[in-house]
Amino acid sequence: MSGFYVLNVPEFASLIEAALKSGRCTVHELKGHYRFVEFEREIEIRRSDTRMNEAVWYGCLTGGLDGKITHFDGERLNLVATNEPVLGISTQDAR
Amino acid sequence: MPEPLKLQPMLHGVDHTARPTWKLRETVKFYRDILGLPLVHCISAKGWGREKENHADFLHFFFDSGNESTIAFFYYIGTQQPPELVVPKGYIAMANHTAWRVESEAELLAWQKRLEGHGVNVSQFVQHEVIESIYFRDPNWYPLEITRSLRDVDVPDAVDAAATLEAAMELEDSGKWRNIEQLWRDKVKFVQASQNAELEKA
Repeated sequence: MSGFYVLNVPEFASLIEAALKSGRCTVHELKGHYRFVEFEREIEIRRSDTRMNEAVWYGCLTGGLDGKITHFDGERLNLVATNEPVLGISTQDAR
Repeated sequence: MPEPLKLQPMLHGVDHTARPTWKLRETVKFYRDILGLPLVHCISAKGWGREKENHADFLHFFFDSGNESTIAFFYYIGTQQPPELVVPKGYIAMANHTAWRVESEAELLAWQKRLEGHGVNVSQFVQHEVIESIYFRDPNWYPLEITRSLRDVDVPDAVDAAATLEAAMELEDSGKWRNIEQLWRDKVKFVQASQNAELEKA
């Protein structure tokens, strides 16, 4: 199951709205202090949809990621499903 | 004899932080006159103790930074600044900074205007997750921050911080940690554990 966890605090709430805008995800119910945003194969989230400033945007996956980053800059974030081990991802892959 | 401590020892906020200066006049002008922090105490003493190091005679002076805290400096008379204590350029050395609290956006704006009015190079407002800040430097190039709280931190923040640090320490131990994506992926198991713990509590 691929997706990312969003901590239940105000500054990350708009990440869920932006993910839903992509139309390719399911937002699970709050469990503990996190919501899981599940996606199939891939998802693209645009910063403009989150209305986050850069300081928050660049930490927006801090709740945890079950997937792999294929693109992450000031404009957009692209994630894909992966089975790669955590330490198998090189620095190059993360940029 | 004082009674033995029965409780977990507590801290009650910052009394003072201190750093050395080799720019006495500029430091006093900046903290007392530009920032307007009252000079509240100054020790002037003959160097004592640390005989092997030939401790210099010195001043140790304190500016009131509010809420019963002070920012303090040492001036070691007749010494030269060691090269390793020159604040390096770049972001890494900025980690070593002092951040003062204000109560409102209006206060933060007032500080920004005051600093700009004195010719201090001050940043725009930067909004982080739970604070909003301005950044500037003192004459010693020490980084300073003035910040306001955007919200109180609560239980979810502490739970999340613990999960982040557990994953981070595990990755540090591996000796192979290179990027934040590894952390975000490794953290999932700690997040799930916290979720299960919450469910068990309920």
